[in-house]
Amino acid sequence: MTRKLCALALSLAMLLSLAGVAGADIPSELPRNETLYFAGQQWGAVLSWNIFGANQNNSLVIGGGAASRVIYFETLYMWNDLDGQLYPLLAQGEPVWNDEGTEITVKINPAAHFNNGEPVTANDVVAVWDAHVKYQTGTGVNGSTYISAVEAIDDGTVVFKAVLNDEGKPINPLELPNQICQLRITSAAWIAALDEKAGGDQDAFKNDPAYDIVASGPYAGSYYTDETKIVLERDDNYWGVALWGKLPAPKYLAHIFYADNAAGRAALEAGEVDVSQQFNSDVEKMWLEKGLPISTYIDEPPYQLGLVQPSAIYNLNIPVLNELAVRKAIAIAVDYDQINANAMTHQSATFEQVPRSLFNTTEGQQAAYDHDAVKDLQWAGKDIEGAKALLDEAGIVDSDGDGWREYNGEKITLNAVCPNGWSDWQASMEVVAATGKEIGVEITTFYPEAAEFYAVFQNPDQTQYAIYMQSIGGSGPTYPWNSIRQAMSGEFVGQQNNGSGNWGQYVNPHVDEIIAAIPQTSDEAELKALYTEAVQIYLTDIPSFQLMYRPSLFHTVNESVWTNYPEQGDEYGYPPNDLTDGYGVGALYELELVNP
Amino acid sequence: MRNTLRQASHSANFMIGFVLIIAILIMVGVYPLFNPGSPLDMIGLGTFFKPGMYISMYDAAETAPSYTLRIDGAAAKRIDAKLPQSDRESMKRWLTAYGVPEDAIDVDDLNDLLNLWHNTYDEDARPAGLTSAFRRSVARIDAALDGLLEPLDVRVYTRDPQSGEMNETARIRDDQFINVSEVVTTRRLWLGTDNFGRDAFKELLAATGVSLKIGLIAGLIATALGLMLGLLSGFVGGLVDDIIMFFANLFTVIPGFVLLILISYSIGQEQRGATVVAAVIGCTSWVWTTRSVRAQTISLRNRDHVNLSRLSGHTLPRILATDILPYIASYVVMALILQICSGILAEAQLSMLGLGPKTTETPTLGLMMFWGMTYAAHQNGAWWAYFPVILMIALVSFSMNLMNTGLDQVFNPQLRS
Repeated sequence: MTRKLCALALSLAMLLSLAGVAGADIPSELPRNETLYFAGQQWGAVLSWNIFGANQNNSLVIGGGAASRVIYFETLYMWNDLDGQLYPLLAQGEPVWNDEGTEITVKINPAAHFNNGEPVTANDVVAVWDAHVKYQTGTGVNGSTYISAVEAIDDGTVVFKAVLNDEGKPINPLELPNQICQLRITSAAWIAALDEKAGGDQDAFKNDPAYDIVASGPYAGSYYTDETKIVLERDDNYWGVALWGKLPAPKYLAHIFYADNAAGRAALEAGEVDVSQQFNSDVEKMWLEKGLPISTYIDEPPYQLGLVQPSAIYNLNIPVLNELAVRKAIAIAVDYDQINANAMTHQSATFEQVPRSLFNTTEGQQAAYDHDAVKDLQWAGKDIEGAKALLDEAGIVDSDGDGWREYNGEKITLNAVCPNGWSDWQASMEVVAATGKEIGVEITTFYPEAAEFYAVFQNPDQTQYAIYMQSIGGSGPTYPWNSIRQAMSGEFVGQQNNGSGNWGQYVNPHVDEIIAAIPQTSDEAELKALYTEAVQIYLTDIPSFQLMYRPSLFHTVNESVWTNYPEQGDEYGYPPNDLTDGYGVGALYELELVNP
Repeated sequence: MRNTLRQASHSANFMIGFVLIIAILIMVGVYPLFNPGSPLDMIGLGTFFKPGMYISMYDAAETAPSYTLRIDGAAAKRIDAKLPQSDRESMKRWLTAYGVPEDAIDVDDLNDLLNLWHNTYDEDARPAGLTSAFRRSVARIDAALDGLLEPLDVRVYTRDPQSGEMNETARIRDDQFINVSEVVTTRRLWLGTDNFGRDAFKELLAATGVSLKIGLIAGLIATALGLMLGLLSGFVGGLVDDIIMFFANLFTVIPGFVLLILISYSIGQEQRGATVVAAVIGCTSWVWTTRSVRAQTISLRNRDHVNLSRLSGHTLPRILATDILPYIASYVVMALILQICSGILAEAQLSMLGLGPKTTETPTLGLMMFWGMTYAAHQNGAWWAYFPVILMIALVSFSMNLMNTGLDQVFNPQLRS
């Protein structure tokens, strides 16, 4: 009898371990005509649903930057990468600045309610902000530097107040709109319950898996997740019908956890995946050679919207890289066309199309600086003779005839580093390394695991990595100002665990003045002059250099089941954000079945 | 020695394997003489160019004399290539969705179809039921239709550097041909290019050379270690035997490849040159050679000539070198061949996992596979980026195994006919 009981208990335990975490009954076989399948957003099992946690590994639900992922949790506003505007989601109408420019007032949409039926109120927004600050989350720590308080005026009105400097002006007014499009809202009651359960313990609060968290999004109806997939079910009682006029088309959003890019790509080509966030090399071959019903946002190269700039960062802790001649020689000698054609397989705008600055390819950011004023500083690349001449002039020559140049009597040996498995980045580093050979500077590639990579380069004193890749720039209310900050700000110099910017430890007090001045400047001409000067300094001092333009989300779709996805120049104007992020979520409402 | 070689040369298996490996070595050694330069030069802007002869369009248009050849069917061939039947069906599908009655569309009458198309097609229209991918494919067909039936001359203009004016320098008719041998710049890419735009054939041969070198170094190290430990263990016995066999058993229990992965990972990529990788492979694959040599040594150590040598006061190294080694030399050579082969395979496996030699310094067969897979060559139909590599690994392994089998037939008394 005891043996039988043990066997039963063991079987039960095994069953429980195999079973996923589910909020309600979701069919095990999802109806294909009601399900939109994703790839490339989520790798591995979901850990948590807690918006205050540090490592949820729940990218289909919690992700995005200024264009926040809003299919499950919602934000007050949605950021549109295409026009750089905020669109109301939980909010109603535009955010209103006070006359002094120190506060921003947001009205809550009275129709908005959570999936438990409770209305979304200003108190919920306040509770979320306060919890972030109290429990020292990343949002709380970074945000409270610029936002002094979030207060409810009444149930439907909330005010974001800026931290002021000695002159009574906000330290950084850009951070206020930045928060209202990124702050995910859950209910104050749920936070209070978790607060009580955690008993004030910060780790207990952040590490709670929050399976019962309350949300207001269109797919907060129910969910299922296990080791292989995550499925979100549409909330048919979603309040947003009042906003969008209808429910989003798919009843289910599903993401299979593919083992690698190859598996995800095969599923996309087979029509098992509808929306792919993966980097699919030679993506055009899918439709040009294989004739598959697959397309990207743009039909011609660069196929995707280039929002970030993966760059090569110079580690200035390494003496030879303090030589401007060496930094410039490598930067002008790199063959960027090769990186675009072979590493990115033409999924990046070329530097001929969008000349290098510090800003992404969108019209808004390109208009921020005076192109003519920096024209003479921009380089096209593959200037091997120019690079050699620079090094020769600086006295960095090959004196022992071994084919490699020496610095202070020692052969220059540098490494070019990026995380292992990031194929387009690795291929870019190969091209940079090949450049070294041509100008007599030995550069070898090195691909540590991602965790090790981040641990090393976020250490301000490290000398292990000489040239390493990191993305600069992005899209959101703080950009393009934030691009300058990420590339050159002195605030990050010497900072431990620095994940935010200036990883190479570049010091220039004048740049810091420009960074401080831009958020305080409203005059457009003055602003343009500041941005232009920052770009001039960046292209002159070269603390890092852009290698390519890259989308923040790859957006490739298969129209075997669903159609009417966003495409450049269409009537809807939704950005190519995989139908999940910021204003791009609107595309979910326009999807149609190919065979209704 | 001469007798041994003569015996081996009588084995068909050995000779086939030997000829194959020599042929590979000759190709590896000779091809760079005809196609000099680094095999890692990135010459192609783009991934996986198809195998074939590449002719400079610039030189063809500018310098080569042209010949007029009136070839029947050339126009029809061009039309078929530009507008195959599948494209005509796509046009019909678009026209039908746009509202043209199906029976008014004849895809076999090209004139009619094109007339209808030119009068109807609107690139900005979004007929119901058509996907974006389909509409875009039809737009590409439309762009290819210009001058399809009545080909226009292709005109080449160059800009006058002084005046900046554009002057027509060539006009190319559809019956003009060039002789490929007269074009100044051509490049035969036997196996196309890889994802970095490198000449894949040149890279393959260079990688084969490096992989053979890695295999040879790994094989020599593994065989030397195995031989030395096996001789000591088998001949000395006692505590020495116990200690050596303890480690041998330990290495037998731990899967060799796992050990290889762990060591390769821990020494770090920066230290992993081709020689270091070869040494790591060699140091982790000595076990079976040790066990076999030990077994053979035990069977030899009490032979009369060994006892005689021992009684004569010969030193241990001398006894091992002169009285034991010659009797197991044939086995050791066979083991070396297999170790070289498995060294090549181990490098390929390691590189596939990204744990092979540093990528920028040397091409290896495993690295070619690694990058081919990373850039989805197998999913893009770029067989030339990975299949020849597999074939080369198979050929090298096959030829070495054949040599080994041949030698076995010669030296193994049980198999000797």
